[in-house]
Amino acid sequence: MSGPDLSAEHLTKSFGSRVAVADVSFDVAAGEVFGFLGPNGAGKTTTIRMLVGLAHPDRGTVRIRGLDLARHFAQAMAHVGCIVESPDLYPYLTGRENLQHFARMLRGEAAARIPELSRLVALEERLDDRVSTYSLGMRQRLGIAQALLGAPDLLILDEPANGLDPAGIREIRRLVRTLAAERGIAVFVSSHLLSEVEQMCDRVAIIHRGRTLATGPVAELLSRSAKGFRILARPPERAAEVLSARLATPPEPDGPEAFLVSLPVEAIPEAVRALVASGVEVLGVERRASTLEDVFLEVTGGETV
Amino acid sequence: MTFLPLVENEVLKLWKRRRFRLVLLILVALIGIVVVGRVEGQRRFGSHKDWRIETQEQVARMRNWDRQGRLLETQRRWVRFEIARLQYHLDRNINPEEATGPLFARGFANFASYLLLHLLAIVFAADIVSSEFAEGTIKLLLTRPIGRGRVLASKLAALLLAVALTVLLGGVVAYAFGGLAWGYRGWDAPVLSGFRLVGETVDSSGVRAIPLWEDAVLVFGLAWFATATVGAIGFMTSVLLRSTAASMGTMFAALILGTILPRVAPTWEFQKYLFVTNLPLPDYYTGSPPPISGMDVPFSVAVLAVWALAALAVSFFVFARRDVLA
Repeated sequence: MSGPDLSAEHLTKSFGSRVAVADVSFDVAAGEVFGFLGPNGAGKTTTIRMLVGLAHPDRGTVRIRGLDLARHFAQAMAHVGCIVESPDLYPYLTGRENLQHFARMLRGEAAARIPELSRLVALEERLDDRVSTYSLGMRQRLGIAQALLGAPDLLILDEPANGLDPAGIREIRRLVRTLAAERGIAVFVSSHLLSEVEQMCDRVAIIHRGRTLATGPVAELLSRSAKGFRILARPPERAAEVLSARLATPPEPDGPEAFLVSLPVEAIPEAVRALVASGVEVLGVERRASTLEDVFLEVTGGETV
Repeated sequence: MTFLPLVENEVLKLWKRRRFRLVLLILVALIGIVVVGRVEGQRRFGSHKDWRIETQEQVARMRNWDRQGRLLETQRRWVRFEIARLQYHLDRNINPEEATGPLFARGFANFASYLLLHLLAIVFAADIVSSEFAEGTIKLLLTRPIGRGRVLASKLAALLLAVALTVLLGGVVAYAFGGLAWGYRGWDAPVLSGFRLVGETVDSSGVRAIPLWEDAVLVFGLAWFATATVGAIGFMTSVLLRSTAASMGTMFAALILGTILPRVAPTWEFQKYLFVTNLPLPDYYTGSPPPISGMDVPFSVAVLAVWALAALAVSFFVFARRDVLA
């Protein structure tokens, strides 16, 4: 299969006069974990609803393995497993009955995968209990088992960490990484949790107020916004002068005698020498690991998640 | 992908939801109460008098009412009709009131066609689509590799099965209980069929005697048809309103309107095109006067068919296109 497993092209959706999603485009390749990051209400769930055909875009196209979702819904969805918003299953049926129910809606040997999948999500022992007795984490895991029933090529998970404890989140993360690495599944994960996306995903799109503000490999986004190093120097006025001369952007004050500077690591010894040569006392140089939070703050212009 | 597994799913959900079993239990309990009530009534007033005298008295009483001319239009029509019916039985020396199990079973379809069967159909129909919205499972249901039309069709199939089963069960239980009270024999008894109201007078020219079982099959067929129509319309409200409570409320209001309207506004002709007015058609098939003069069984079947098909067309049209944002 050449080309991306999932491709969204110029998705746009309005509700009345409110534009929920505006011109959102991205591709997700096989074996890749793609993070869709944004605050609540940014348009994540509306986008996911369009990806799985629950909502129809005003403009734009969704392609799953090259199939136009609007025209070949059934064929396209045969490649997809998904959880939209919350893992809602039938509370009055048991876990097994739920899985059997959804297996009957799939082609092939979906029902035969139930034992294996329930083992995978560690629900074997509770499989014959009613879902109404399950904890939120168990429902989330059952939802994932359900999404995997059809042996999908593309897995779409909306906020999979919701309602899970830290151990559960780790579990999901490991599961997603395994599925992508070993089975070559393309995974699309939405989240409002920066740390989750950062640890789970290969590539990220940041969505804010219905628009994608940045898209790229996690590492690239992180280095793009990298403030790089924190330099403590005295007197600060003189230090700022010296550093400004060597930087494209002026150093950013970060405390009374501290500056954040974006410099490649090779340029640091030279910068320190220059400071010392100008009579500035260098009190410390720390490497500063930037996080998706920094990227997010930068691209959204200071709004927090 | 075959269609049957989808229907299997819907039937499973209907059955597991408890609602279905509760409704069937209500049906059994109601029929039981009606049987007990009738048996008690008979015991108290007994058949110490000869049925002929009783029937003749009844006819005389009704003639008197009619002569006094103080009856409402609808009452007068009914009274004249009853006089003709009872007279017909008297002339042939047939006791018009004699109860048997089979007769009670047929009668169930008549009395249940005023409200009971329709209420039960609404309880199923109101829930079958909107509950998926309420529980959020609609998002899973509509992200399978199956078109929305097929998903909805499987729900409709399950609903029609449930309606048919309810009508059938009602008949079987009525026969079982009625038989316990009045004996199980009598399916071959002749019944008179074909009374027709022509304007003010009863036309008995088409009256003929057919075996009770044949009559019962027809009556139950009509009861099923009317109930299925209510199911189809309830199905539509379930799709449109996406809320079980709102859907049930709307349909109950419509049904109650249908029982009130012919009484308070018997001269308003237009109501014969409303589906609710046409629902008691098993009853006027067996000889009761229709709610509005000029209505007969073929007319009602046609009106109900148009309503049912229109409701289903709207359901499928809306369901296939609407965004799911639940």
